[in-house]
Amino acid sequence: MMTKKTKKALATLLIGLLALSLAACGTSSSSTTAPAGTTAAENKEPIKIGHEVALTGGSSLWGQSEKQALEMEIEKINAAGGVLGRPLELVAYDNKADQTEGVNVAKRLVGDKVVAIIGPAQSGVGIAASSVTEGAKTILIGTTATNPKLTVNEDGSVKPYTFRTCFIDPYQGKVAATFALNSLKVTKAAVLMDVGSDYSQGLSQYFKETFTAGGGTIVADEAFRSEELDYRAQLGKIKDAGAELLFIPTMQKEAGLAMKQAKDLGLDVKFLGGDGWASKELVELGGEATEGSFYVNIASLEDPTIADWVKEYKAKYNANPVMPNPVLAVDALRMVVNAIESTKSTDSTTLANYMSTMKDVPVLTGKLTMDPKTHNPVNKPAVIETVKNGEFTFFEAFAGQ
Amino acid sequence: MSYYVQGILILAMYNAIAVVGLSIFTGFTGLMSLGHAAFIAIGAYTAAICTKLYGISFIPALLLGGLMAGLVSLVIGIPTLRAKLRSDYFTIATLGFGEAIRVLLENLPITQGARGLPGLYPHTTFPVVLTVFVIVVFVCKNFVFSRYGRMAIAVREDFVAAEMAGINLFNIRLRSLFFSAVCAGIAGGFQAHYLTYIQPSMFTGVQSTLLTASVVAGGMGSLTGPIIAALVFAAIPEVLRVASMWRLVAYGAILVAIMVFRPQGIFGYKEFTFKGAWHALKHLYEKLSGKKAAGQGGTKA
Amino acid sequence: MQMLMQTLVTGLAVGGIYALMAVGYSLIFSILNFSNFAYGGIIMLGSYMGFYSLTLLKVPFAAALIISMLGAALLSFLNERIAYSSLRKRHAPSLYFMISAMGTSIFLENMVYATIGSDYNAYPAIFKQSSVSIFGSTIGKLDLFAIIFSLIAIYIMNYFIQHTRTGIAIRAASYDSEVSQINGVNLSAVIGLVFVLAGLLAGVSGVFLGMKYMAYPTMGWITNKAYISAVIGGLGSLPGAVTGGLILGVLESLVSVYVSSLLRDVFSFTFLIVLLLVMPSGLFGKYLEEKV
Repeated sequence: MMTKKTKKALATLLIGLLALSLAACGTSSSSTTAPAGTTAAENKEPIKIGHEVALTGGSSLWGQSEKQALEMEIEKINAAGGVLGRPLELVAYDNKADQTEGVNVAKRLVGDKVVAIIGPAQSGVGIAASSVTEGAKTILIGTTATNPKLTVNEDGSVKPYTFRTCFIDPYQGKVAATFALNSLKVTKAAVLMDVGSDYSQGLSQYFKETFTAGGGTIVADEAFRSEELDYRAQLGKIKDAGAELLFIPTMQKEAGLAMKQAKDLGLDVKFLGGDGWASKELVELGGEATEGSFYVNIASLEDPTIADWVKEYKAKYNANPVMPNPVLAVDALRMVVNAIESTKSTDSTTLANYMSTMKDVPVLTGKLTMDPKTHNPVNKPAVIETVKNGEFTFFEAFAGQ
Repeated sequence: MSYYVQGILILAMYNAIAVVGLSIFTGFTGLMSLGHAAFIAIGAYTAAICTKLYGISFIPALLLGGLMAGLVSLVIGIPTLRAKLRSDYFTIATLGFGEAIRVLLENLPITQGARGLPGLYPHTTFPVVLTVFVIVVFVCKNFVFSRYGRMAIAVREDFVAAEMAGINLFNIRLRSLFFSAVCAGIAGGFQAHYLTYIQPSMFTGVQSTLLTASVVAGGMGSLTGPIIAALVFAAIPEVLRVASMWRLVAYGAILVAIMVFRPQGIFGYKEFTFKGAWHALKHLYEKLSGKKAAGQGGTKA
Repeated sequence: MQMLMQTLVTGLAVGGIYALMAVGYSLIFSILNFSNFAYGGIIMLGSYMGFYSLTLLKVPFAAALIISMLGAALLSFLNERIAYSSLRKRHAPSLYFMISAMGTSIFLENMVYATIGSDYNAYPAIFKQSSVSIFGSTIGKLDLFAIIFSLIAIYIMNYFIQHTRTGIAIRAASYDSEVSQINGVNLSAVIGLVFVLAGLLAGVSGVFLGMKYMAYPTMGWITNKAYISAVIGGLGSLPGAVTGGLILGVLESLVSVYVSSLLRDVFSFTFLIVLLLVMPSGLFGKYLEEKV
């Protein structure tokens, strides 16, 4: 009797303790604001820059690198005396690339009174978070969020406080289709997309529109669901349709597997994809099947404009930045810094008004001009990369819109 | 109360609405569902489409969302519960059902596929959620203490015996399922108008699993237990933002530990009341001070 | 015609993988009468063990397969001892087993997330990407090997259960654990053994999944298909699990090609429900009254 009771009590206690200790360890380590640089500007009140970033989960690879890049950049700025004589402070919270978390993080950053939020990288998270930041009149700058709906409302009006530093999906789809028609000279294409991903749906739609408008035919239009790993049934159908090119607008995992399975089925086509491919896991998963495939990217490691910066990053962190997120986050930071310095203000409305009409502002990837009607950068170049001997190699550049 | 804390509370409360519904189902009929995220999704989409495309005001839209989720639950519930599937088969059927609903959301034109519905109006405000939450808990409490509630408990404890005693098993289980689906649907409507954006990928099996985890941790058959669990579970990722990866590891371990050591959950079949809490504290105090008193008594004797 | 053949072959190849996973899962069901949702987690860890044996220890393929089979068997055994044995002794309802299994599955999956990370781990190429032609349809050599290997494994398992003394004890326990115990069956040992056997199969499945696709934390998701296969075939029946897996694989393939690859999960689900309404215990399931 006694033992049973004690056992029960013990169990309850254990569970309680577990919960408590978890809570305790959380509070003690939850203040993750990155230490700002330590120089002259130190004594003044810092300017807080928020960072909505996926530090855990499937997108953490890019998220971690994005944060490192921003930390490095802020350290440099602070060492040079900060902005308006005040140091910058990065306030980064993990949104796990999840919409609910993204909204929570946005609310938290608004509460922290940050001047601007850099990120999120995912369009879906960005759209959800922007409803919070728009209401609170806080600037949000998406990094790799390519969905047009991030900066523009359903009715076509621009969201006054929301910007991005990357190109948008319609442009990317257009680049891919133009490249297929003009450089690869194919006329019969098939599409294999991830129906559970807004990115994939958007990209495939714009690819198809441009490809057919340019005289090509879509011979097979297939899809699979996000968690699926086997696409052989769909690929068999694509093989039967006699496609010359297979456009796979998905992330690296699905694209790698699809290419491998296509080769297994004896499907002899060229492969083409979007910026979701940009991870070396593509080659690891797809093996030799990926050799000679092409994809559109926002920025390339080999791009001469960012070569110095990449070297610097590599020297500091002993690894290459995981493209393209870090570069676009740095662009966003430079945009904010430029706005603060030009307006001599940290008021969000003043800054947003300035950013909205920014012209030829020097950022990492070149010069940035904002379209005031859409808050998309107008002259973002795209690059085509290819897989050569198992490495991503710069193939050709696509000039701005 | 800061903007951020208020946001977390809203989140916690609409989760608790879904959890309390599921608690009525799993806790009082002994069937496990791995597809309740689908009901949340149905509620979210119905409410969102109502407010966005048809300009219906928020509260009626919310109720329509709940109703729609309830109706769909009948579509799955009537065949599977009537066939008296073994509980395992039922659970796997709900798993398949959850996936099937997501497939439909990804493909129907009105839901705009994976791109989802952006730009919803943030109707989900603190007072509204709080009011609905209180009403739902009140209704649940009445349900549990009603004739149906007692029948449901009998079904959970021993459905063979309950059936022999003349309880219509199908009827009770279906009612519980319907009720839990309505709660899930309402929670979904709140979620849609809190995030102001919904996508099919938000409503995965993971969400269903977390709902079940709250019910189990709080105690199957209790109402307050799962509510407290839902609130705690919503707060933990915020407090633990850094150790967030370990949160789910801990949930898994807690589920096993509860089943092994304390299947009635942390709160058991008891309900949390302030009176009860006061008594427990008093009891604890007496126990602690009682020991001391006994010791002192010993020296006196 | 050509396309139909190819579709059927692809369906069988995918179904073979479902079948292999479904057998281990169904084996556990046959004796403990509950859905072991932790099985997906064990398969996933088996896959990781195979991956690290090949890449870090650099052992030959056969050794990696054995390491991951033994490792998964050990995990499966521990899983039973920690998460289920005390429930079994208490005669807890199957709901409790399912919750405990779900907890284990959440625990394992997120443990990998937290410690190893969420990277996709591609197995080194063991079989050159090559395929063979059968009646004009192409099938990967690995698939062919997977199907043949799983049939052999399932055959051995079935022989063991049907024709050895231990096998008889297992079957006896699966029909009535109380009576078999009275007749001198060491129930705890038999159940431990069943979990070890299921673990061995999990190891094989894990390595095949890893080779075919990759090793990553949420790969256990694919075991949902195995659960559905096992239910179609009738939970607890090994031939049923194999048949269910193959049926599901072929059905998915046919729907993808001839109806819509988008709606195939809706078809699979509807098929499952209709089948359960007509045959409440699946194709080959023994109808058991639920224990209270």
